[in-house]
Order: sequence, then C-alpha cells, then structure tokens
Amino acid sequence: MNRRDFFHRSALATGGLVLAPWLHQAMGSPLAQKAPMRFIFVHKGNGLFPDVMVPPSLSAEDAAKERAREAFSVDLRNHELPAWMAPIAAHKESLTILQGLSGMMCTTGHHTWQSSLGVYRANERPSSIKWATVDFELARLFPSPFEHIELACFPDGGGNSRGNIEGIDVGFSARGQGQPNYAFGSPKVALRELFKSVAADRSDQNRYALERKLLEFTAGHETALGAGLPGSERGKLSSYAEAINDIRRRNSEVDGMAEAIRKHLPVLDPKYLADSLTTTDRQRGHTEILLSTLISGMTNVVAFTVDELGTPYTGLPGLEGAGPVNLHDVGHGKPAGNVPALEVRTTLRTHHMTLLDTIIARLKSVPEADGNMFDNTMIFYFPDNGETHHSHGIEWPFMVFSGRHAKLDIAGRYIRLPKHGVPGHRTLGNWYTTILNAYGNPIRHFGDLDMALESQKIPQLGAIREFLA
Amino acid sequence: MQLSVIPRILVVAIAVAGVAARREAVGTEAAAFPADVSAVLGKYCGDCHEGDEADGKVRFDGIGALSTAGRIDLLNKAEAQLFFGMMPPSGKAQPTAAERSVLLAWVQGELRRHDASVLDAKRRAPEAGNWVDHEALFRGTEEAIAFTPARRWLVSPQIFLQRVFDVFELPQRARDGFRNGMHGLTIPMALPEHSGIRDYDLTPLNGGHLVTMLANAEWISRKQIRAARVKAGQLKADQFDNKSDRFSPVTPEAFEKVILKDGAPSPEEADAAIETQFERVLRRPARSDELANYRKLMSEAMELAGNTEGLRQMLQAVLLESEFLYRMELGDGEPDEHGRRRLSPRETAFAIAYALGDREPDAALQSSAREGRLSTRDDCEREVRRILADTTLHRGLIDPALSIEHPGEYYLTPHPKIVRFFREFFGYPMAVRVFKDSQRSDGIYRVPDRGTFGTPGFLVVEADRMVARAVEQDQHVFENLLTTDQFFVYHNLSNEKGAALMEGWKTVFETLRHTDWRNDPERVTAEHQELLQKFVVPGGMKAKGNGRHEVDLVRLMNLFEDTFGRGGRPFTTFPWAHGNRFWHAPMYNLPRTPTEGSYGKDEPFDYHPVQPFTMPNRRGILTHPAWLIAHSANTATDPVRRGKWVREKLLAGSVPDVPITVDARIPDDPQRTLGERLHAVTSKDACWKCHVRMNPLGIPFEIFDDFGRFRTTERLEHPDNIIRQAEKKDEGDVYRTAPFSSAGVISGTGEPGIDGEVKDALELMERLGRSVRVRQSIIRHAFRFYLGRNEMLSDAATLRAADRAYVESGGSFKAVIVSLLASDSFLYRK
Repeated sequence: MNRRDFFHRSALATGGLVLAPWLHQAMGSPLAQKAPMRFIFVHKGNGLFPDVMVPPSLSAEDAAKERAREAFSVDLRNHELPAWMAPIAAHKESLTILQGLSGMMCTTGHHTWQSSLGVYRANERPSSIKWATVDFELARLFPSPFEHIELACFPDGGGNSRGNIEGIDVGFSARGQGQPNYAFGSPKVALRELFKSVAADRSDQNRYALERKLLEFTAGHETALGAGLPGSERGKLSSYAEAINDIRRRNSEVDGMAEAIRKHLPVLDPKYLADSLTTTDRQRGHTEILLSTLISGMTNVVAFTVDELGTPYTGLPGLEGAGPVNLHDVGHGKPAGNVPALEVRTTLRTHHMTLLDTIIARLKSVPEADGNMFDNTMIFYFPDNGETHHSHGIEWPFMVFSGRHAKLDIAGRYIRLPKHGVPGHRTLGNWYTTILNAYGNPIRHFGDLDMALESQKIPQLGAIREFLA
Repeated sequence: MQLSVIPRILVVAIAVAGVAARREAVGTEAAAFPADVSAVLGKYCGDCHEGDEADGKVRFDGIGALSTAGRIDLLNKAEAQLFFGMMPPSGKAQPTAAERSVLLAWVQGELRRHDASVLDAKRRAPEAGNWVDHEALFRGTEEAIAFTPARRWLVSPQIFLQRVFDVFELPQRARDGFRNGMHGLTIPMALPEHSGIRDYDLTPLNGGHLVTMLANAEWISRKQIRAARVKAGQLKADQFDNKSDRFSPVTPEAFEKVILKDGAPSPEEADAAIETQFERVLRRPARSDELANYRKLMSEAMELAGNTEGLRQMLQAVLLESEFLYRMELGDGEPDEHGRRRLSPRETAFAIAYALGDREPDAALQSSAREGRLSTRDDCEREVRRILADTTLHRGLIDPALSIEHPGEYYLTPHPKIVRFFREFFGYPMAVRVFKDSQRSDGIYRVPDRGTFGTPGFLVVEADRMVARAVEQDQHVFENLLTTDQFFVYHNLSNEKGAALMEGWKTVFETLRHTDWRNDPERVTAEHQELLQKFVVPGGMKAKGNGRHEVDLVRLMNLFEDTFGRGGRPFTTFPWAHGNRFWHAPMYNLPRTPTEGSYGKDEPFDYHPVQPFTMPNRRGILTHPAWLIAHSANTATDPVRRGKWVREKLLAGSVPDVPITVDARIPDDPQRTLGERLHAVTSKDACWKCHVRMNPLGIPFEIFDDFGRFRTTERLEHPDNIIRQAEKKDEGDVYRTAPFSSAGVISGTGEPGIDGEVKDALELMERLGRSVRVRQSIIRHAFRFYLGRNEMLSDAATLRAADRAYVESGGSFKAVIVSLLASDSFLYRK
C-alpha cells in the first residue's frame, strides 16, 4: 500500500477523522511503522467478588462447575453479561471474563501496593519491590517518549498514608527493584505536568523552560567532570550524564510531538481541574488524561488506580447525599446511608464500566491502519487485592478487553480456570508471563511462586499456552 | 598419541592466524601457540580434547574452524577451567604449577588482546573476591605496594539519608525520628540483596538514580525554602502540597535574603546562597569556576521566573551534582615514588567517618583534618581508636527498619556499623526475603507482610543480639560467632528486670499454688492482693477479669501451673497480652509458647529471663534459624548454597558459575531424602568437580530443616507421602519420614585437625572455628567491607597486618579495623 492509497482508504473509512499521531510520522517515512500495542491497567480496591463476574445465563451444568470452581469456558456471544456490565455491553466481542487466577504470593488484604502488578509481597517499604511491574515491562516492549504514565485516585489516609491525593506520590507500579513509580493524583496536576510542553500559561511555560535549563546545565557539568578520567571512573560520570541526556532526548521527542499533543490536549470541564472535586469527577478527569496521552502517542502504557481501599468516595450516582463513602466500611458490609454494601459495590463497578466504555469508545473512534486504535489495545480491569475485602488472593478476577490485533486468543469468552490447589491451576504469574511472552518478552516466569502450590508439587511456571494466539 | 596431537594443534593454530588475517582484522595475531604452550596442551589436554568425540565438545584441534567469537568462547572456557584448577580432572596427570601458569598466561593474553576475558570482567565483582590466591596473600612474600584506585564510591542508602539530613542540618533527635526515611524522599540506591559484602565501589549512577534524584531535588529544594516563602507571603503557614507531609525546616539565612529581596540579589548575596548550598550539600566551599557557573545559572533562571524559582534552580542543580551521591576518594598532592597519592586530610576524615558510621566526620575528626593532624598513619590510628572507644558517638540501632516492629527487644549498640559488617558477611538478615508456606511450620511461621517482617524478623533480631554481644565483648570474635551455643530468644527485658520479674512470679505461684484459687478465687485474690500488686499487677488484680487482655488470678495461676508447675517458667509477657507476638520458640526446637486452651498439650515452656542461655544442638550463627532460613529454598533446605557459602566465605575458596547448559534442579522423588536426590544428580564426574567443593560442606546442615529446626529424621514432603492431612489452618500435613545423612568433609585448609570428615554441622562449626584459614578468610571479607572492593595481591601486607592485629589482640575485631583503616590500601590512591 502506498501513501496515496492509504490516505484514500483511510479517508473513505473514517470520513476524514484525525489519524493517530504515530501514523503521521510513519507515513512521512519511507518504511511504514507498525502500530504499537497499548496497554491500560485499571485496578480497583476492596476486592472483586468472583461471583459477580458470572454470566447469569450459564447452563445448569456450567453453573454447577462455576460453583465448584471447576474449569470451563463459554462463548460470551451466547450469554448475557451481569447487569452491572451493561455500560460495556457494546464491546462484548472483545471482552474476556477471566476467573480462577490466584495471587497467594502477593500482599493481600486491605492494601497491596505494587503487589498486583509485580506479583510479589510489596508493602510500604520500597525495598519490598522486587522487580519492575508487568506494565513497565510491557512499556519497555513498546517504547514511547514517556514510557509509562500512572494515574491514581490515591487513598486519603487509611493504610496507605502516603497517597497525596492532589499531587504526585508513590504509585502502584514499579520501574525496577526498589524503585516505585510516581503517579499523578489529580487531573489538574497530571495535566500541568504531562502537557507542560504545550502549556498556554506563562508560569507553566517558565517552569518547563527552567526544567530544560536545569537538565542542560547538569548534563554539561557532569560531562565536563568525566572528561579525562580513566575508564571505569569515567563510566561512573558518563552514565549519569548519559541518563540526563536521555531525558533531554525524550523531551526533544515530546517537543517534536507538540502539534499532536496540542491537538489531543484533554478538553476538561473546569470542574475536573478544581482543587476540590468528587472522586467520580477525579476518575473522569483521569480518564480524559489517559486517553490524551495514549492518542497523542506520549505513552503506550497507562496504569490507572481507579480507587483504593482508602479512597473516600464522593459523587457516586445515587449516593451523592450520603457523604464520602468509606470503602472499608463497605468492605465490612456496612451500608452507605440507606444503601446496602453490596448495592454500593454494584454501583461502583457500574461506574467503573462507564469509564471503560468511554476509553474503549474513544479509542475506537481514532483511525489507525486498517481499523482503529482500539485494535491495538488491551485493557485490564482487576482488583488490587484479589477476591474480597479481607482477601487471601485465592482468586483474582479479571476483565480483559482485547483489540483485534491483540496476541491473546481469549476475546469473547468467559473462562474459568481450575481452582487453587488443583493441577492446571494458574496464577497471576502465569497470566502476566502469558502476556509478556505474547508480546516478545521471553521471560520464563514473571513473579514470585506460590509456596502452597510448590508444596503440593503443582507446576506453576510459565505461560498459559492455551491463551496464546 | 599425545605426541601426535602437538603438531596438529600447532599447525591448526598457525592456519587459524592465516585465515583470520584474511577474514577479520581483529584476529590477526590470535591463537599462535608458543612452543611451551603447545607442549603443555599436548601433554595434558590432547587425550580428551581432540576429535569429534572431544569431552564437553571442547576441542583444541578444531580451533582453526572457529570464528574469532568461537575462539574467544573456547579460550574463555579454558581460562575458567585453568583458573579454578578444574582441568585436567582429578585422576588424570596434573601439570606442575609452572606448566599451569604458562598455559593460563597464554590463554589470558589471547583473551586480553581482544579485551574479551570473562574472568577479567568479573574480577572486580564481589563474587570474584576469592580469585586472588589465598596463600599468596598470607605467605608473606608478596612485596607489591598497596593502594586503592582513585575512585568515586556510590554512597550507601544509609549515608545518603544522613546526607539529606545534613542538607537540612537536622539535630540528632530529628534524625532519629526520620531514621526510616522522610515523606517525599526516595532513596535512589539499593544494595544488592545477597549474603556477603554488598557495598562495593563499582556502581555507576544511572538513569534510575537520576529519575529518583530529580524528584528528590524537587522535594528537598521546596522544603529548603518553604519557611522563607511563608515569610514572604508566597505560601500560607498551613499550606502544604501534601497534607501528610508537614515537614517545614528552617530556611538558611542566605536563601531567605534572596527570596525576600525585591529585585535581583547582589553578586555577594547570590554567592552567599551558592556557598550555603555547597556547604549544605557537598560539605565543601564552591570553587571559583563553580561559583561563576552557578551564578550564571541562577541569574538566568531569576530573569525568567523570579528570585524564588531562580534560587530553587540553583539549589536543585547542586543537589543533582554526582558528588552528592558519591564518596570522593581521589587522593591529593604529589605522587610518591610508587605513583600513589595520599588521600587529602578532608578525604581521609570522610573515609574514616564513613567506615565507622554513616555520618560525616565528627567535630574532632574535622578539626584534626583542618589543623594538619590527619596526615600520618599514627594520626589515623589515633582517630580510629578514639572513635571506636567512644560508646556514644555512633550508638544506635542495628536495623532501623526492624526496630519499628521490635521496640521492646531491640536495643542500641555502640557501633552499629561493625554489626552491619557481620550481618552482611553472614547474610542472615536475608531470612526476611525467603518466603515459606506457614502451614508447613504447623502455623508457627508468620510470613513477612505489610507492617511486619514476620517470624524471620524476630529471628533476625535475635541473631543481631548474638552478633552485637560478640562485637561488644571484642574477644575472639570470629571463634565466638562461629561456635557459641549462647543464644537469645524472646529477650524483651534486661536480665536484671527479667530475673526480678520471674522471681516475683515464682513467689506468687509458690505462695498461692496450694490455696483454693480454682474454687474461690475472690477470697484468694482478696487475701493476697498485696502480694499480687507487688509482683504482678501494681494497680490491683481481679479474681476474674474481662476475659480478653486483663490479668486475673485464675488465668494467671493456670499459666503458672502450666509452666512453674511443670518445672518451667512463663514468658515475661502474658500470652493474652494485647499485641503479644512471641510465638516462634519452636523454630529453636523449644516448646510452643503456652496459650490459653493449649495448656498441657506441649512440653513445658521454660523461659530464660537471663540471656543469652545455652541452646542445645546449636553452634554459632550458622546454626541459628535466621541463617538457616536465609540460606534455604522456599520449601526445602539448600545444601548446595550452604556449602558454597562455607567454601567461599569461610574457606576463601571459589566455585565456578553454574554452566548455562545445566538446569540446576534437584529432581523430585518421593522415596528419597533431599541429600540422596542431590547426590544422585551431582555425583557424575562433570558435576562433581564443582559440587565436591560444596556438597560436603552443606550436607552437614541437614540436621536442620528449612525453618532452621533441628531434626533427627527428614520429612519426605511429597503428596504421595502424606500420612494425615491437616485439619486446621495452623496444622501441617503429616508426612512419612526417613533417616538422612549429615556426614560431610572439610577440605582445602591444609591444617591438621581441621580437614577431614565431620558427622554434622555441630562438628563442622567446632572445627572451622579453630581454623587459621577461616580466620584469614573473614579478615579478607572485612577488608572488602571497609575498602569497598576486592583485595589485590598488592594488598597482601595490609591483610597480613590485619590478621596479625587480630591474633595479637586476642581476637579483637576493633584491632582489625584500626589496622585496615591505617593501611596503605586505605590511605593511598593511584
């Protein structure tokens, strides 16, 4: 396909919609690039009950297997989704409801820090971070100027007291051993920091210029210090100077994308940028930021803490007058106002589904190659701690949305894997290994092992072969 | 046959050179065997490494067909085999030392010509520490002059934190409060998590450090000027970026002046701010060129964004200087006749301070440096001795992270950094990183989790006490640590307090045991209230409490019956006390801590209020559960790893890396013990040549299971061997058991009475504790800890002096430190 053909076809297909920025670059170069894969990890606090994930239309036989936690799989086209999933029903063909994974090797219970993405027992000490989380590993397979962006509705108090709800703070992903990632707590600060290269505000422009100057100064200074030193000692300075220059190069790339970034600047209602905003508005604001960073090509991977146990919930439909909903109380079965805890949970999940629908629908509206941006996207929605409030990680339900070009052959299915302790059982480690292997990271196994399975001599290394396309 | 090989190899080698010349410039001089090399190769290698059937597919006659990369690969294999003395294999004719040297020198020469020696690349790494010949270091004939290469040494996490405290000039109390970190600050460096010395001078700053430092510099600089911004009306006093982070230090006067000034600061004011930041961050004045650069940076930034942000730009830039993260040890002045430069007095002061603690030099040391009293070896000795004799200067917690969870049983030691050496050397703190399935321990073992280091945390604290005690006694330290049977368990009160408490409780028990406390507790309580108040509950005791955490007569006497009444003693904390977490006694094969409802079901619990006390079936730190867990697999013991540890750490030996083609796993077999399975998989010649260095030293520890519990039979933990499945959460499955062997062999010391067979770990440790080689091996590791690098042959005199100091002082580790820190290795750079 030549350049003229492409524009002709895409114009026909899209009616002249805006192209994904990488395509603009690709079409300007002799060799067309393949669209990168995008990954969105959306995780929630307070557990996700396995029972609420089950299609209500299962046959009696399958329902019995479900109750017994026995392995089976059904085609979702033949089934109704649980009612709370209604907002994403239009995307059923790309949905997988994946049940039966376990995460007993993770920190579970109230707060889990980087555990659900790293598959180890993380806690408040950065030293507990054993390696980069799976989202960072994927980001490294699909490089982008920002590599990875993390957004969080931080807990405000509670167990994770470090959550700076209006600022930037230690997040739930990790860049490497002992290196927590930083997440943006509010749409306002995310907008200011991520889009500062195209800031309209004078003081933001100045801040951006100062950052540039600082890096330039430090790079020059360290390079000069290293000149003339013998090999290994020179390396101790040159690697630092080189790292600074890497950031400067990234900044240059971002500058080069100014047009695309400006074009995709999140259009946020002022209420999303207020100093005080409801949790649901915070989530909607973050959703817009998430979409802009992906569509503009700033990153290919976003991790989004949609809520955590310590997040005080405000703005929930039907619960506006109940004051901040305390998720911990909900976890203990206490009602919020007059609304029973289970109903609050349903409302929360339904709300999350509206956010996912926004993401998917928007990505589908962005043309890319012979289809749209969602074709090259995978979205994961899952709990940060497993099956319930005081979880043990015996189950770790997932909803997965796979675009057309995703390399896993799981879309459109309800999959129940063998339960914990039974041969054939799969863990979060197997699941992430599968994803990483599918996209080119040949790791033998990602994550810590489950010692109970080890005692039972149940094999637990490697990918879930049946999922690989 | 041997003779026929020689010319063939030679011819091939010459041919290789010709082919290589045509194909690859880099290989033009490669692989021409000198006559003496050919002779050795032919004599000792030709038999096995020729032809299609060559052993290990390593054939020298095929070298001509190899590319440069292939030749390098082959020579690297040969280098490793020769270096570690593994070829020719035992049972074959062995080359003399001279012949081996000829061959090795040639192989290394060829590899170094291409800068392709794998061994060279590893030589500076911690795992290569023992590659320098032990005998050569200690025989006393090595005359090379000692020095350390001029270097930048990345600061440790502990030093980094103190440097940040220095930036804010925090008093000691505030430092103690922030000992586990500051909100908003992320420590950019982490030490590798392994057993052995971890803080080497090899780590370069990289992108990970930078990203973290950018965030740190942003946070620190904001905090540095926060108070002045409040004063200037730029911030409200209660306005914080993060409401959980209300740290608000004093802004230095020079910064405040710039912020409060209308208009640009004068050159003097700008310089004062720069000088202040240099002093705070880099602990030195700015040079004139630095002043000029920073003045320009600050001025341009102020033009763009005003005084406050312009100042902050400068503050951040200084914080991002690599010097903030490195220990600078470059040497100063004219080189001596050996080309060495001595550390400057300032560098010497910092080097000594960081060797003995984590903070910058104390006032006396700084004065000595300033006043020219730190320029001779005697000066250094004097200062080191002064600091080591000072029991308050460095007094502190051994492990601040553990101290949070263990405030009661954790204590301060005069020189935590000395204890840190032994912690790293022995590696027992790594126990908290080894996950175990709690059920396998019958529910006793609590896994580290949020806010807790679990059972291994308790065990590490108790091992720390053993080490700290030996360090503080400072006599025969190594022997003591390797062989002592004096252990600490649940030691949460001082000996005096514990003994008094126990005596009082015993008095209560003896007085009341024959009363009718069971049937008429009210009367007994009333009649003996004074006694109970004196020894148990000062505020008065009830006959029957609320049943949760309250002490009452009935539950007290039930506990006393179960302990005193059966010849034991209760723990000083009641089992029903709120937050009591002491349940791990079975890790030492001691009875379970008594709990209500379980009285009488276990052996009597006998708490030792005066500690340490004699622990049966244990000898030294290597038989402590913390060490045994740290050096175990998740669900089994690990004789290979334990044996490797002993070989490398105590016997100054080396074991080559596992070949990448080897899947180093012990196969499952429900019928056999782990030792039997290990033997089956490692006894082949190709495996045994390495495993002979490890297995015989690791198998003796099989007298302990992977939780560190002494055992006489081995549980065959396989689903096929379950006799009875657990019925409760805190129960383990019951497995069939089998006898096992713990017989091992010490080899390689060359010392009569040390080398030879041992029946188990207890005998192993008793013998190793008497070994000269073991003593010297620990000295070598101490060198690495205090020098931050592997020893070289030129450090031989330093090591011998340290060893001598230890022996002559009756086993004082402080004497070793003094010797090392006054050595040429420590003081000279080249």
